[in-house]
Amino acid sequence: MANKANLYDVSKCTACRGCIIACKDWNQLPAVIEPFKGNYCTHEDTNGDTFTIMRFIEEETDPADDVKWHFLKYQCMHCFDPACMKVCPQGAYTKTDWGATFHNPEKCIGCQYCTYACPFTIPKYRKREDKITKCTLCVDRVEAGLTPACSRTCPTGALSFGDRHELLAQAEERVKFLRANGFPNATIYGKLELGGLNMLYLLTDTPDKFGLPIDPKVPGQITFWQDWVQPYFGWLIPLALAGSAFSFVTTRILAGKNGEHAEGGHE
Amino acid sequence: MAGLSPSFGRGAMTNHVVDLKNTDYALIMGSNAAENHPVTMKWLTKARLERGAKIIHVDPRFTRTSQIADLYAPLRSGTDIAFLGGMIKYIIDNKLYHRDYVVNYTDASFIVKEGFSFHDGLFSGYDPDKGQYDNSSWDYEIDADGKYVSDPTLEHPRCVFQLMKKHYSRYDMDTVCNITGTPKNKYLRVLEMYTQSGAPNKTGNIMYAMGTTQHTVGTQNVRSYAVIQLLLGNMGRPGGGVNALRGENNVQGSTDQALLFHIIPGYITSPTNSPAHKNLEGFLAKETPKTGFKVNQPKWVVSLLKAWYGDAAQSENDFAYHYIPKRDANKNYSHIAMFEAMHRGELDGLFIWGGNPVVGGPHANKEQEAMCNLKWLVAADLWLTESADFWTYQAWDRPASETKVKKRTPKDIQTEVFFLPAAAVYEKEGTATNTGRWVQYRGKAAEPVGDSMPDLWFIYEIGKRLQAAYANSKDAKDEPIKYMTWGPYGNGHEPDVVEVGLEMNGYYVDNPRKPVPGFPKLAADGSTACGNWIYCGQMTTKANGDLDYKPMWRDNKDNSKTGLGLYSNWSWCWPVNRRVLYNRCSVQPDGVTPWPGDEKRQLIGWDPLAISDPLTGKLGKWVGDDVPDFNTALAPTEPGGINPFIMRPEGKGCLFAAKASTKDGPFPEHYEPWESPFPNLMSKQNKNPAIKVWEPDKQASPEQYPIIGTTYRVVEHWQTGALTRNLPWLAELMPNMFVEMSEQLAKIKGIRNGDKVIITTIRGDVEAVACVTKRFKPFIVDGRTVHQIGTVWHFGFKGYAKGDPANRLTPHIGDANTMIPEYKAWLCDVRRA
Amino acid sequence: MKVTRRQFLKVTGATAASFAVIDLGFDLKATAAGVMELRTKNVQPMPTICPYCATGCGLLVYSERDSAGKFVKLLSVQGDPDNPINRGAACAKGSAMFNLREIYDERTGEQVINPNRVQKPLYRAPGSDKWEEKDWDWMLDEITKRVVETRDKAFTHKEKLADGSEAIVNRCERIGSMGGSGLDTEECYLLAKLMRSLGLVFLETQARI
Repeated sequence: MANKANLYDVSKCTACRGCIIACKDWNQLPAVIEPFKGNYCTHEDTNGDTFTIMRFIEEETDPADDVKWHFLKYQCMHCFDPACMKVCPQGAYTKTDWGATFHNPEKCIGCQYCTYACPFTIPKYRKREDKITKCTLCVDRVEAGLTPACSRTCPTGALSFGDRHELLAQAEERVKFLRANGFPNATIYGKLELGGLNMLYLLTDTPDKFGLPIDPKVPGQITFWQDWVQPYFGWLIPLALAGSAFSFVTTRILAGKNGEHAEGGHE
Repeated sequence: MAGLSPSFGRGAMTNHVVDLKNTDYALIMGSNAAENHPVTMKWLTKARLERGAKIIHVDPRFTRTSQIADLYAPLRSGTDIAFLGGMIKYIIDNKLYHRDYVVNYTDASFIVKEGFSFHDGLFSGYDPDKGQYDNSSWDYEIDADGKYVSDPTLEHPRCVFQLMKKHYSRYDMDTVCNITGTPKNKYLRVLEMYTQSGAPNKTGNIMYAMGTTQHTVGTQNVRSYAVIQLLLGNMGRPGGGVNALRGENNVQGSTDQALLFHIIPGYITSPTNSPAHKNLEGFLAKETPKTGFKVNQPKWVVSLLKAWYGDAAQSENDFAYHYIPKRDANKNYSHIAMFEAMHRGELDGLFIWGGNPVVGGPHANKEQEAMCNLKWLVAADLWLTESADFWTYQAWDRPASETKVKKRTPKDIQTEVFFLPAAAVYEKEGTATNTGRWVQYRGKAAEPVGDSMPDLWFIYEIGKRLQAAYANSKDAKDEPIKYMTWGPYGNGHEPDVVEVGLEMNGYYVDNPRKPVPGFPKLAADGSTACGNWIYCGQMTTKANGDLDYKPMWRDNKDNSKTGLGLYSNWSWCWPVNRRVLYNRCSVQPDGVTPWPGDEKRQLIGWDPLAISDPLTGKLGKWVGDDVPDFNTALAPTEPGGINPFIMRPEGKGCLFAAKASTKDGPFPEHYEPWESPFPNLMSKQNKNPAIKVWEPDKQASPEQYPIIGTTYRVVEHWQTGALTRNLPWLAELMPNMFVEMSEQLAKIKGIRNGDKVIITTIRGDVEAVACVTKRFKPFIVDGRTVHQIGTVWHFGFKGYAKGDPANRLTPHIGDANTMIPEYKAWLCDVRRA
Repeated sequence: MKVTRRQFLKVTGATAASFAVIDLGFDLKATAAGVMELRTKNVQPMPTICPYCATGCGLLVYSERDSAGKFVKLLSVQGDPDNPINRGAACAKGSAMFNLREIYDERTGEQVINPNRVQKPLYRAPGSDKWEEKDWDWMLDEITKRVVETRDKAFTHKEKLADGSEAIVNRCERIGSMGGSGLDTEECYLLAKLMRSLGLVFLETQARI
């Protein structure tokens, strides 16, 4: 099965945000209304009912008159080697053979360990169901032969879904063109980052201009535990992490979880 | 729209949305297309990707459109004519105009009568007491045979071209940039880039919207585009045009149906109480031009009367012409005038069909006050809008500092309000006419919620009940309503849209099930009935005799052999399915030769061997992928054979708007907005001399209100927000009223990003969240720094997303021709709340 | 007329519309995830045209119907891939059309009718501070009475013209009508005809503002 990806070409994006709403429509997500605080993007991050957001970043390139307004669609990157999947104590995460990092809510216990493990802090907690949610790359649509909702609705072709190697080839061509036409720092993001992503970005400038980590890393602690400890002593993880930066998570796994289940009784 | 008709003959987008892909240069001005017409960018970015097209954006503020554009240039709100006048001068000085096109297809060579003049901001014929022009001197010279006198060399000192050259010689780059505040280097780049579309093998299109029309010089702003596009030879050709991006999904359809005081369906002047309009004969004699396609107007008017009054309309009684109301020739009944009259207590009742003046009307505080004088109000909408709820406590909430509005409570307001819950767009069926004149059908996909009903049903029901109320009246005044034909439009509980469509299309009186195939078949003898001649042709019959409503057609194959994206069998467009208006211009005057290097964009051509009339066997016919916007049998060599603008009496594109075409001048001239911090640098006339001033006491002084204010929209909301602020998903994207301002102004005022601020004008105060941005910059105008702020007008006190209506700030002043309010440039001040 | 409607869905012409059942160009077999079935499987969508800006984009409304074909609830609204204007694309507003009728409740996640939609005709009496629910007949009869009363009281049937002669002018200046740009064309047509026949001259739509 060929590896698929979503390619987001910022040079074609008008930030109409149709993708955000199409995602909400398809994935049946309620609105999360937060106040306007001075930026068109009212959400500082994705949330349990918002799988994708659009960042708006202003940059003054020449104080005399030149301004750039960088738009960036932000959502799950569908890593080749997803940290969320590695740390999930319930095996709720799977990687489809075409590249989507899929989270199965049936298995999720809402421990949020994945949130903290993710280099992009993408998995988010949905309180009303006590579960984690995130972009699924529209697995249901793709496996029925349909384009993911966001790419399907994009008016200008800034988002396109297809074979990853073909999209990469297109992106390489486009980068050459952009570099020769006023965007010397144009680059591809997601080709090699974290070993490769099933979400590709074609950026008109360096990733930091768009608020993307230049060299994203999975927290070392997690790599160590996941690659070495879990295969042998998986049940130790929560204990071992107790008192660390992840104490919230572990405490929850150990204690809160069962209690809440007993009380709420919603499974 | 009003600037288009005097230039080209029709008031509509000349090309269509998909055609944007055929352009080489797009000038987006007075429009934020990426935000307000996002899907147009699908086609413009395609043109850029596939043809190397360039996109230019000119706007006071850097927007999402600017970001996607190749070139952005700022200009101060209300200075478009200065900006474009400089472009006209640049085109003429550098001989960048498309000469063959200009000589043959425009009025450039026509000689203007002696007596026309322009001096210090005033054209000849101005009466300062009345504040109006007598425009009889703005006219062409006619020879003894009644023909226009012309000089194809364009050298005669009184030919349109030379007069225009002289007029715009004053718009040199220094003066222009001093007025507009555009950095000179940027201005020059815009001129250099866009005027390349004058090459015969290139086309350029101008896209505009409310940023152009919502000024006291709105009509003349559009006229400036028309002049530029005619000079560059960009009209009537794919990828060209002056493309009005209309704001509401069916604003074109509602305008076509004449929901405007000054017209009756099909853009026919509505009759007045002037003696010339006393009877049908007089009306037709006065309003029908002697030349051009509009000579057919009597057929359209008589067919309209037959459609509306049926058997009561006979040749003996002037086809019931007297049933149509005759408005007072000396009165204006436009939106502003209606609310001024209401404020004076001159109206008792008002219907609002999906409108929201408490949010969307200019000087909204005044319009809300005016509504309190109504005895009754009928409002139809999906939700309780701010206007339906204008009498509530909430509606009179104002910032604490507000002193200009007298607050009221529900018990002070004696208006009875009837709210009719309407079905949503996909809970009923019907058609909508888009900005490119495509009439598309939309089906019923869901049941209306609760007891809500389609507007068609309750409009029909009210009509039915009114007819019943007057059924036994013997009073002559009640005849129009009594004898009005009123369906029943099918046998169902609700009127059938196809049956209504048939009446609009027209039918034969002796065979009411037979649609008239097109407006050339309409007659002035009462044998045809047609509710709207421009929609004639939208209905046909299938082989089995059933009605076939063309807006339902869904064949999406491109019938253009050169891939121009005409889609002539997808839905239907007026007039007679012409997708590109004035397409006679897409070929050289001889009708055969394409413009050099532009073979692929030729839409129609003259085929001398095709049979145009099967009865006489006459040879020669216009043929092509698009429906010719021309008399199909008129050879290029015959008289009028190179007159591509068939709806104009001249047959030519008008660089000079002759006679009564406009009220404020045959050439666009720069004037400052009604409220401006600056005197006019071009002449002693600061304001458009032909505007009507409604509220002289509500004009702010720049000393008290030094900041320029403007209003605009964002992609996440729509118009007054009724249809978007009630949608949680859209409220999520844009939850609150905000105001954008430069970092420089914010610093002076001590405002930080996200602070609550008060914007104040002489008319009202509103609160908003500050969005301090690098995308707004102060302007340097005539050596002085001036700040501009901008605010979105989508907000009100209802819905999921709330905020103060920006129109509490805007003035009751309108364009000299259209009375469209000057929402886009006014004076204000801003401070921390 | 039923035939016409069915015909519309069946689609005439050379490129019979598919509503793009498969738009990827490839068909993936269900893989490990395979826990979700397509929500719109076997649902025939109804095409509509966007009610926002005048670009005229096509959208498809997917809805659930019971075995008798009766409408139950909305499933999704997406760009119409066959419409040549937008080819399946939709901006934020077009994509949000589902919310015109139904929403997902923020607290429960349940799909409900948009609570802001008005479901009954409402009347507000002079000086009152509340709305009252009424039935359609009452509303329409009362409106008719108001129109007749105002019209009969303030109607100019004939008047003297500028040249001193008299003519029929059939004009009623005390009633105004505004709006219509959000209506369907057929609705605008009937509205224009009715209002003109009543003698209204204060007749305006959003084109002016």
